[in-house]
Amino acid sequence: MPSNAILETRVLTKRFPGVTALDGVSFYLRPGEVHGLCGENGAGKSTLIKTLSGIHPHGSYEGEILVEGNEARFTGIAEAQAAGIAVIYQELALVNNLTVAENIFLGNEPTRLGLIDWDKVYTDAAKLLKRFKLDIDPAARVGDLGTGLQQLVEIVKALAKKSRILILDEPTAALTEAEVDVLLEIIRGLRDEGVAAIYISHKLDEVFAISDRITVLRDGKSIVTLESAQTNAGEVIRHMVGRPIEDLFPKRQSKPGGTLLSVKNLTVADRHGDTILHDISFEVRAGEVLGIGGLMGSGRSETLMHIFGAWGERLNGDVQMSGKPSPIQNPRKAISEGLVMVTEDRKRYGLNLDKSIGFNLSLSSLEQIGYGFIDRNTEVARNQKIFGLLRVKAPSIETVVGTLSGGNQQKVVIGKALLTGPNIVFLDEPTRGIDVGAKLEVYEFVNQLTGEGKAVVLVSSELPELMGMSDRIVMLAEGHVGGVFMREEATQERLLAAAIKFHKAPVKV
Amino acid sequence: MKSSQINVRDFSLFIALALIWAFFSWQVPDFVSPRNLTMLSIELSTTAVASLGMLLIILLAHIDLSVGSAIGLMGGVASVLIFRHQWSAPAAMLLSLVVGVALYATMGWVIARERIPAFIITLGGLLIFKGIFWKVIGNQTIPVKTGDKDNLLSILTTYYLPAWAGYSLVALIIVALTAARIYSRIKRCSYGFEVESGELMFSKLFVAGQAFLLSVIVLERFRGVPLSVTVLGSVAFVIWLITNHTRFGRYLYAIGGNEEAAIISGIPVRAVTIGAFAIAGVTATITGFMQTAYGGASTTTTGELMELDAIASCVIGGTALAGGHGTVLGVLAGAFLIDSLMNGMTLMAVSPEMKFVTRGVVLTLAVWMDVRLSRRSS
Repeated sequence: MPSNAILETRVLTKRFPGVTALDGVSFYLRPGEVHGLCGENGAGKSTLIKTLSGIHPHGSYEGEILVEGNEARFTGIAEAQAAGIAVIYQELALVNNLTVAENIFLGNEPTRLGLIDWDKVYTDAAKLLKRFKLDIDPAARVGDLGTGLQQLVEIVKALAKKSRILILDEPTAALTEAEVDVLLEIIRGLRDEGVAAIYISHKLDEVFAISDRITVLRDGKSIVTLESAQTNAGEVIRHMVGRPIEDLFPKRQSKPGGTLLSVKNLTVADRHGDTILHDISFEVRAGEVLGIGGLMGSGRSETLMHIFGAWGERLNGDVQMSGKPSPIQNPRKAISEGLVMVTEDRKRYGLNLDKSIGFNLSLSSLEQIGYGFIDRNTEVARNQKIFGLLRVKAPSIETVVGTLSGGNQQKVVIGKALLTGPNIVFLDEPTRGIDVGAKLEVYEFVNQLTGEGKAVVLVSSELPELMGMSDRIVMLAEGHVGGVFMREEATQERLLAAAIKFHKAPVKV
Repeated sequence: MKSSQINVRDFSLFIALALIWAFFSWQVPDFVSPRNLTMLSIELSTTAVASLGMLLIILLAHIDLSVGSAIGLMGGVASVLIFRHQWSAPAAMLLSLVVGVALYATMGWVIARERIPAFIITLGGLLIFKGIFWKVIGNQTIPVKTGDKDNLLSILTTYYLPAWAGYSLVALIIVALTAARIYSRIKRCSYGFEVESGELMFSKLFVAGQAFLLSVIVLERFRGVPLSVTVLGSVAFVIWLITNHTRFGRYLYAIGGNEEAAIISGIPVRAVTIGAFAIAGVTATITGFMQTAYGGASTTTTGELMELDAIASCVIGGTALAGGHGTVLGVLAGAFLIDSLMNGMTLMAVSPEMKFVTRGVVLTLAVWMDVRLSRRSS
């Protein structure tokens, strides 16, 4: 290890109940270096960031974090920030109702005589924005900006704190190509000023464009660190996956049957009246997996949530289930019609974390076991059966769900959905944040469902997963259908091109 | 982790109860006299029935500030119909019950449909019910019976079961409890769940049986088991059945624990909310009858501040204000603590001013503890 490393981790290990998220991760960051961090979802990237930024405080992990050669023992985010580490997350942390300048200096306002010096707030913000060649009005309300510009404001906000180490977690997920170029230019400028950056992205072309070195994480381990100039995307992917991609997705034979769900010209507005989904049409047949992909904010989840009756107001369009117009107005109705949804955010929409596995499993299907009174024999028997079938790793169905690992929690959510006896299953990012073993089990489940003649709609932000699992893939772009592909004709390039079809800027992939 | 926290709460509740009882028996030996304990059991009946309704609402992470006024109003409606309009007591009480359920269901409907915080709606209810109540009784004192003629309303707190009935009842309860425990143990074994040791189960049953028997023996030394205690017993049994063995009860916990997940899981959140309020309307009305009967008449202060006792009973008994956690047994214990405190202070002739302060301190302490314990668990 070089003595001039600005940030270094030594055999960093972080355990959660049931899962080792980081397993002896060692890597270092040189001053003025952009370091790409690659790995699949669940490889440990976000845990590593959280540990570096003080969210997982000292004492909750094993190993050492060194900043400029001295061990850092962050007890919280504030200490990490004081040490010059700034993190820009995928999710925005801006206040929509405040202006750009107010957001940039939020919690850090310049004062004069104890009062906020508003002149300075706006002039300094304008200076910062100008320095990064951003054409944004400091007095504009953040909520009125597009997602891409908001992301750039977020980055400027982090830079306003004069950080020496910048961690960017999927900063371009919501950016157009033109905005990505602006961002990369900003990072290069900072690098020349000696700021070091950790750059995390699924988009390998970006990682190669910006980074000096690349470290690959897999299953919580730091697999390898490569000089960007001496490697290529293929090698990085091989390290990320650890095995050929084909093996990750279990083979199955699909023999699609009749159309179970047909969506025609769906146009939907959110509660503010803004049209989010435009003219979306697709069909799902029995025994088939329909993949839905797209960038963040493309309307993937919204499409499923709307059909499930949980989101939005339909302006136009028609949904038919098994050839009949579907009267779905709410999730309750949907479930009784044989449609069930496993939502993306399982903690928020899926589980009662401090209740038992059994409580959660049977919640959606209590109406099938006895009128009014719960027939506990039947309930327990049904729960035990699905518990065994899903191979949930827990002592018994009385175990509290919150103590399980992400993968096992996800299995409980899926189990709850399956107990309703559905014909159509919506899975929104079913493998996000779960380990590779559990992923494989989820994939096997999907195949089992289609084998039973059910229709599955799978939303995923991982293109390999979409290509590996789906019979057909619908790519959404800004609420429109950007393209529909059969499994055989889908390539990463074609899918991505469809995903950014409606962006204004020209695209080169 | 989880179980040890529940134990902290259970344990401190038990210690607090023991301290309160020790203190009052030492200060005023009359506290443990059969006569006073009988009074305490009647007071417990009113507080606990109101608290059990409150439990259903707090499980949903809502709150009912209107119950004190509702208690006064429902008792007042029945009294006025009986005393002023010569209605038969059962008819008067039935109408009062219908009104109570209708008012509560309406509040539940507004809260569930319009998504207005229960805090505001029931605060409005507190004032509106109080106004209507005073209007109904014309700001006067309305006796619960005409002349000396007892009726169904007046006997609620003045009738005592004959000794044979009291002893048969307690025997029945002990047998039923034992049978239920054994049955559930066998079931749990057949599911392959963990069960507590046989000795522990036996000693728990033994202690519970002793406590029941001792209570009846003490009550018999005055006039016997008050009718109101059997009312409480029945309400508690029904609420226990609802929370533990029905779909509706399961939904209460699910909605209170995570409302968004409940909606996605296909739970009829609106109907369950309205239902919980409707049931709370029933318990509020029953409490209104008992509270009015206990005072002998309906007056402007009947039921006043009982919403706070009900909330305190729930919270002291381990019901989380954030929703999703709470049991019937806990609420009964909480109500027992509150009533022991109030009764003891009355015996000691504590001034009304200090009683207010004590009530406030107890409520604050209970909520503080709830916040502390739930913060640690998250």
